Amino acid sequence: MMPRWKGKGLQAKANADPMSKIVSQLQSSLIQFETRGLLSSCSVLVEVDAELADLLNRSCFGRPRITAQEDKQWFQLDMEEAFYLCFSLKCLKVIGEDGSIKSNEELWDYFKSKKLVFPVSYKVYSHLRHKNWVVRSGLQYGVDFVAYRHHPALVHSEYAVLALSEGDNDLNGRLRVWSDVHCTVRLCGSVAKTLLTVIVNSNNQGANSPSCLEHYTVEQRTITRWNPERSREDQTGPKNGTKKGVTRF
Amino acid sequence: MATHIAPLRKLWALHVLDGNDIHLSLKELYEKLSNGKSGCYWELFEVYKHLRSLGYVVGRHGIPWSVKGQHIKSGTCSLEGSQESNEMLEMEPKDENSVIELFNNMQITDVSPAFNVYLPNSKFRKSSPGDPSFVLYISRCSPPSRVEIEALERKHGAIPFKFCHVENGRVSFFSFAKTELPVLP
Repeated sequence: MMPRWKGKGLQAKANADPMSKIVSQLQSSLIQFETRGLLSSCSVLVEVDAELADLLNRSCFGRPRITAQEDKQWFQLDMEEAFYLCFSLKCLKVIGEDGSIKSNEELWDYFKSKKLVFPVSYKVYSHLRHKNWVVRSGLQYGVDFVAYRHHPALVHSEYAVLALSEGDNDLNGRLRVWSDVHCTVRLCGSVAKTLLTVIVNSNNQGANSPSCLEHYTVEQRTITRWNPERSREDQTGPKNGTKKGVTRF
Repeated sequence: MATHIAPLRKLWALHVLDGNDIHLSLKELYEKLSNGKSGCYWELFEVYKHLRSLGYVVGRHGIPWSVKGQHIKSGTCSLEGSQESNEMLEMEPKDENSVIELFNNMQITDVSPAFNVYLPNSKFRKSSPGDPSFVLYISRCSPPSRVEIEALERKHGAIPFKFCHVENGRVSFFSFAKTELPVLP
């Protein structure tokens, strides 16, 4: 499926403003301002000034919270987003209830206690973010994440992502039966996304600490439905150059 | 038993004759399909019929296409033709196998492919069929695991394969393609 840009000129705009650069700027600014996040249930709350707010918005980390404050803004980060900033980009520190800074191991244990599959979902999140894809929650589509080529204001998301596991940490129950495959593929199709499964293998490393992550391997597969009514033309296609009827398997 | 598949305008009608050229009723045909080994002939028939009626060329995987003048192995299927044609399609005269015997000894397993499928307009020739457009597996219980799919990729190499799920008379085809999202700028 080709990326669907939301307007003319937006692809050029995205090319001129690469996501890797925006994230890098975010990283530098967070370090510079020694930003601290507050651990709150399944989120991390950060208070930022206008410049950081702008960078968080442009790099698609967190959601702004509406407050009466004028000079500062509060952002709410998901667990994966917060851990990515703390552990992978090393630009955020998180403070717990007791006022002390949480180590990566403590954060890891805490997030795992809130979400059993956190190691798998985090591996998938960070894998895609490392490739500079924008990754957001896919809850409203019945999947784990949606992946965008750039900011959601510029482009529609192409992939609906399911984070699956195999090996000793097999907790995700998705796509185990055909009815779930039918359901998920159909839903993805109706919102013009391709179903992407990202399968994490823990290679028997367990999930005791975040250092296990580097030993996890990841495989990506798309699951698509093939419609025989629509694919009958020979792959070599007619000579008038039209793409209609070209069959891709 | 000989089988004629006669396109009737745009409908496929299956006329099945037994060894004495006595026309089998639909009921008798269905009974035979239901009694197949592992009881799986029905699903095989549904898939086969679905693709054939759309004009695809479907052969049993692992069985060579019959070639005139050569010894024909049992279980050979040599049906071909186009939907538009009104001519009667017949099995090779020497071939006594029927559609049911096409499925003889076939079992649906997730590890052995059922059919080789060729596109309708692919200028298929029995004498040199070439590689199929894809190999088709019929899934019985659950979707294939990653490990199973990887094994099949090693087995088939460049030839794509698909999984077919049959339930409630509904035939659905799925592809599980390995991919790697590109690194973006």
